[in-house]
Amino acid sequence: MDKNKIHPDQKYIDGLAENNSVIIQSIYKKFVPKVVMFIMNNSGDRDQAQDIVQEILILLFNQAKANSLKLTCPFDAYFFLLCKRKWLNELKKSSNKEVTIIEDVLSINESAHELIGHTEEFDEKQQLFDTMFQKLGDKCKELLKLSFEIKSMEEVAEKLNVTYGYVRKKKSLCVGQLTQWIQEAKNFKSLKNN
Amino acid sequence: MNEERYILFDQYLQGELTIDAKNEFEKQLLEDPEFASEFETFKEVQFQLANKFGIEAEREAFKQNLTHISEHHFDKNTKVIGLKPWYLAVAASVAVLFGLFFFNYNQNPVFADYNNPEQASFTVRGTVNESLKQAEEMYNAKRYNKAIPLFETVLQKQKTAEIQFFYGVSLLEESHYLKAEAVFNELKNGVSVYKEKAVWYLALSKLKQKDYEACKQILESISEDYEGYDQVQELLHQLD
Repeated sequence: MDKNKIHPDQKYIDGLAENNSVIIQSIYKKFVPKVVMFIMNNSGDRDQAQDIVQEILILLFNQAKANSLKLTCPFDAYFFLLCKRKWLNELKKSSNKEVTIIEDVLSINESAHELIGHTEEFDEKQQLFDTMFQKLGDKCKELLKLSFEIKSMEEVAEKLNVTYGYVRKKKSLCVGQLTQWIQEAKNFKSLKNN
Repeated sequence: MNEERYILFDQYLQGELTIDAKNEFEKQLLEDPEFASEFETFKEVQFQLANKFGIEAEREAFKQNLTHISEHHFDKNTKVIGLKPWYLAVAASVAVLFGLFFFNYNQNPVFADYNNPEQASFTVRGTVNESLKQAEEMYNAKRYNKAIPLFETVLQKQKTAEIQFFYGVSLLEESHYLKAEAVFNELKNGVSVYKEKAVWYLALSKLKQKDYEACKQILESISEDYEGYDQVQELLHQLD
């Protein structure tokens, strides 16, 4: 089968992006019980399972909205593995001991693996970005929020009661600050990996 | 921080550089990997920002809807239940017994048999709005004629599927069929969690007007995935 062919289960991804309640309900009905069972059999409880599922669905919403989620494998395997890996990582964090993630290699195909890799990378990038954004001063945060909500820099200037030239320069510098921090984190990471 | 570089990046992306400066910029992108890599990161940051703030309202709506569905799925209802289920069960069986004794079996089902509107509880989700609170109190006390104008006031300022739904139920209880059906039709065409429930209430509206044929047709359009499908089946069975 063509590896790049979109799987019919893409409807679940599109449904999430459209905030379609019928689709979301059917995800809960069809795919969530398996995740809950897994988490409860692996030192978790129902509340924790509920949180993991919600986090993953919000992640998929974000990725779908960023237009970078094209499902090439069944939703079932993809969704279950994402939840499973997230849960095992949580366990690892809280117990401080090594938890090996043993994959059922035979049961998952290559494209599912690849997709999961993309989603986890998307998640990592987003988390890194959020951490850095929190480090910014309040002025930068406010200016960036307005710039990307309103889009017209003339209007942003008017709203903040400053000149157009000032907001343009300030915006470049705030984006620049984030760029610098993220670039440093990336360089550090590649240094660590080499 | 290399301020000039970031200002340059922004000017390039906005298409504000002169031809010469633009060529110079693109030449540097090709020759200087560090410059190119930093420019990539700059674009990525812009993308993240657009994704974070550009769709913030949509994301909030999604999260709210998701929480609602999730709480329901994991059976953690925030509903306020007035009577203990035990009482309801006894009351229901007594009613059924009386029904068996005193009514003939061929009678058509009536609206009252299916009329058990759920309690509203808006305040738990944080929005403390005086009119909405009053509307909720009136609604839960079944004083629908008082609740209707309050819901109307609230809906002018804040229109959510949840408020619309309870407004629709109030209208139906007071037999304002046209208005009620307009509200439920709007919900039916939307994507909220109330979508299917609205169809069920459209059917109930027909039932209350004793239009059994229309009621049946609407019921048949409800998918089996609907949470209250057992009631749908029961009513369909009675209509046959």
